[in-house]
Amino acid sequence: MELMEGELEQIQSAVGEVLEKFDADREQLLPILQAVQGRLGYLPREAMKMVAAAVEIPEVDVYSVGTFYNQFRLSPPGKNQIKVCMGTACHMTGGNIIMDSFERRLEIEEGETTKDREFSLERVACVGCCALAPVVLVNEEVEAKVRPTRVDGILLGLGKELPKKEARPEDKAQDSAVPRDVSTQEAGDAR
Amino acid sequence: MSNNNGNNNGNKDSNNTGSNIGGKGKMVTITIDDKKYEVPEGTRLLWAALENGVYIPHLCGIEEEEKPSAGCRLCFVEIEGFLNPTTSCTQPVKEGMIVRTRSKRIDRMVKNAFELLLSNHRLNCGKCAANGSCELQKIAKERGLKLRVSRMRKLDIEAPVDDSPENFSYDPAKCVLCGRCVWVDHNVAKVGAIGLVRRGMGRKVAAFGETTLAESNCTQCGECVQACPVGALAMKK
Amino acid sequence: MTVMGTNYQEMKNRASEKAGMLQEKPYVMVGTATCGRAAGALKILDTFKEQVQKHQVETEVIEVGCLGHCYAEPMVIVYKPGFPALCYGNVDEGIASRLVSDFLVGDDPCFEFAMAALEPNDFFPTFADYPRGVYEQKIVLEACGLIDPEEIDHYIAREGYSALVKTLATEPGVVVDEIRNSKLRGRGGAGFPTGRKWGICHDAKADVKYVICNADEGDPGAFMDRALLESNPHQLIEGLIIAGYAVGASQGYIYVRAEYPLAIERLRTALQQARDNGLLGDDILGSGFSFDIRIFKGSGAFVCGEETALIASIEGKPGIPSHRPPFPAVSGLRGKPTLIDNVKTLSYVPHIMRNGADWFKGIGTPESPGTAVFALAGKVVGTGLVEVPMGTSLRTLIYDVGNGIKDDKGFKAVQIGGPSGGCLPESALDLTIDFDSLQHAGAMMGSGGLVVLDEDDCMVEIARFFLEFTQNESCGKCTFCRLGTKQMLEILTDITKGQGKPEDLDLLWELAEDIKAGSLCGLGKTAPNPVLSTLRFFRDEYEVHIHEGRCPARKCKDLITYRIVAQKCSKLCDACIASCPVEAVFTRPDMLKEIDLEKCVKCDNCLVTCLPLYDAVEKVSPPVTVAVEGGSASE
Repeated sequence: MELMEGELEQIQSAVGEVLEKFDADREQLLPILQAVQGRLGYLPREAMKMVAAAVEIPEVDVYSVGTFYNQFRLSPPGKNQIKVCMGTACHMTGGNIIMDSFERRLEIEEGETTKDREFSLERVACVGCCALAPVVLVNEEVEAKVRPTRVDGILLGLGKELPKKEARPEDKAQDSAVPRDVSTQEAGDAR
Repeated sequence: MSNNNGNNNGNKDSNNTGSNIGGKGKMVTITIDDKKYEVPEGTRLLWAALENGVYIPHLCGIEEEEKPSAGCRLCFVEIEGFLNPTTSCTQPVKEGMIVRTRSKRIDRMVKNAFELLLSNHRLNCGKCAANGSCELQKIAKERGLKLRVSRMRKLDIEAPVDDSPENFSYDPAKCVLCGRCVWVDHNVAKVGAIGLVRRGMGRKVAAFGETTLAESNCTQCGECVQACPVGALAMKK
Repeated sequence: MTVMGTNYQEMKNRASEKAGMLQEKPYVMVGTATCGRAAGALKILDTFKEQVQKHQVETEVIEVGCLGHCYAEPMVIVYKPGFPALCYGNVDEGIASRLVSDFLVGDDPCFEFAMAALEPNDFFPTFADYPRGVYEQKIVLEACGLIDPEEIDHYIAREGYSALVKTLATEPGVVVDEIRNSKLRGRGGAGFPTGRKWGICHDAKADVKYVICNADEGDPGAFMDRALLESNPHQLIEGLIIAGYAVGASQGYIYVRAEYPLAIERLRTALQQARDNGLLGDDILGSGFSFDIRIFKGSGAFVCGEETALIASIEGKPGIPSHRPPFPAVSGLRGKPTLIDNVKTLSYVPHIMRNGADWFKGIGTPESPGTAVFALAGKVVGTGLVEVPMGTSLRTLIYDVGNGIKDDKGFKAVQIGGPSGGCLPESALDLTIDFDSLQHAGAMMGSGGLVVLDEDDCMVEIARFFLEFTQNESCGKCTFCRLGTKQMLEILTDITKGQGKPEDLDLLWELAEDIKAGSLCGLGKTAPNPVLSTLRFFRDEYEVHIHEGRCPARKCKDLITYRIVAQKCSKLCDACIASCPVEAVFTRPDMLKEIDLEKCVKCDNCLVTCLPLYDAVEKVSPPVTVAVEGGSASE
């Protein structure tokens, strides 16, 4: 993934600040990476390299950790993060159908970010609200007992323009590009 | 999930896994497949057996490594007094230990573990650089196993061969994830160019950022090629 | 009295005084644990604050944890002197306003909204008057939802930290013996005797030792650890300090899932309060024992519930398990003896130290004493957290405590223990629950997830779901777990698509057995359980999928089609048409609706939307094939 102008400097200063708060110790690797992601929303390569240099371990060892845990992302998240719970109770009450509905509407697959970086879609193992299944986390807020018909409502609430009823499927592609000054470059997929 | 299931081997022993280093000195007598052997106390069973010409299938074992990875799950043996088959790479020898390298149960586990590995391995022995020196071929020969996937689904890896190094190449589709290359890279060559990244079915040997080896900090010293038991890392002809 | 005793007594007096004062004026408690919040508890909290302000009634509005009645969230407790404290469920903003205006301002307790009273009285039944209350016996959940988790005095007023005082005056070896005598078994899964583990760690010779609380609850369907952390963090902290003292550790860790931000926040507050009160840190209560606790945030890996993986994770590595022995109690974190116990296990410890091992053994069964905490979920009416004595039957748990199956459907199976557990059929309902009986029946206590399945659930699909979960969470190190579970998943997926082969069932069974025996860690060793148990009890469902290409529960997407029954459909309604995201539903010339199967993506929208009055949309299996000459379907 190519960085945008000014992004590299932003990454360097954020990681530098994070590293000041921690001991340069291998045991601090997870907390450091969590803090970096907390600041930047994901783990850019340049950030992982800086962390590796600071804790004095091979870069690939940081990459191993960054790619092992679900929580770490290697690409920037969307402005709106949608996480569909795929725990047992949610699965039984149609979590997969909810996931399908989001995938269809956002025209991305689970784990991806829309081209305009407005939405990212993820699965979470269980958020522990099983009695309210199926649940969806919309920007960390829990939406309880989501029915397939609620999916459009959630997206409309977040400013997504949905295809008009009459629209033919092939017209839909353009709708997802909500004008923003951010570049519309390819957002790499997370895991 | 079970994180409290104490002793999983049924043996009453919770000692440290002995290391081979410093194992010299006292000798102990063990019995493998009805034959007695004198071996240094504390040696791990796999190496004691191999040293004495008894073959036990194995891919991931590294004799010098104090904490065996025990990932390939091929070196199972039955030990008298143990409830379940045990990986011989993790088991220190003890005086009077009685070991069987073959049994109905062991044979089935090895056969299935072997077919599992093959189901995820690009099988093209005729054209493979490791043909004749491949550990998988050796296991097949020693245990009378077929070098093909018969009952299971074929789970091919779609990844290009990395031809970027000058003298060798890396084919992820042949990798059995034993981790030996990563170990020598970190501990012998002391470069730190490759690691085991991602997890589950995505787990693979790769450089930082999954670039080609030539783009990484790999020095192309070739230690990893020597360590590879199959044809995943192979010298160019 | 010892220095510790005096120090504690001062704290206790302060706490009791506060508790007494609380009874003198009205208060409102709002359950704001994650599940309550999901149901809108924060809005209710705001409403109470506004209304109390507006009406100028002197009332304390307190945030509490989870009472366990998830089906009735958001829940509040309202107390006014002269009335029993009353609990209200499914509270909305309107009810909240009325409780302030009618009850707190007026004198009408709004019984029409009340669920139960907290203590016996002449006006209203208590929780103990309902079947759930009769069969429940709360130990670790007892204070949950009744105390402010961010207020240490609420915990101290209920004898909190008195077990620590008692412990600190006892020899560590004697503390270990007490836990051993109690026959407490680890609540994290397989039920290993806690006292034996403590003993091994206590006996290990080392300059430094560690204790770790495993709060990496990752079972998709269990949330009791989260509820305990959010509702009563001090109970766990007290247990962890006692464990540290007993084994001789100076540093403790709580390894919490990153997905539990509220739990982490409340724990952090609780730890600071404990430090401020001299209950944590150097020279605890003047006893000479020093011990501190750090929170370690996991990064999302189910396998980190495995002891050796959890340790690797704290050490800054990928959470990949390693071979045991050595066991962590001998050589764990940084190579030092490390005791690792689950949240629930440690939460029992203060109660056992306070009341004695014999008290604990008096509850439950001889081999599994104490209580079992379950997260009831799925097709059961009374979803939520329940705590019953070990030895309670599944039937009691589901039909009395859980109040039966939703929507009067037929019971099919109960899944216990999540991805490591199994599915038990109706014939197992009279099984009494304990560690050994469940394992014997092919399930497992696991972390306590209990999901009820009804006639609409497909057992092959459930097995596939759990296997997909473990396969996703496999670290990938060992052959059996990485590739074995993948092979099983491929087979199960084929079966749910109607592409299974008759010989697949034998291969599934053989792989399952070998993965159980041959995997490196507990995740792999237990991963086949959902498949083994469904194959054992529901083999006929597998066979119907394979031989007839039919899903009896009409769940497997590839084996069903949707259709609108013309006789039931109404010309006056076109709700289904509006609901369809792909315009597959259309109006026929006779104004009834029909589904174009070529366009249908089986999203379930039309079926959900169709009014109960008509109930015209249905699923059929085996699927109807699409006719060549266009939109309509033929059978």
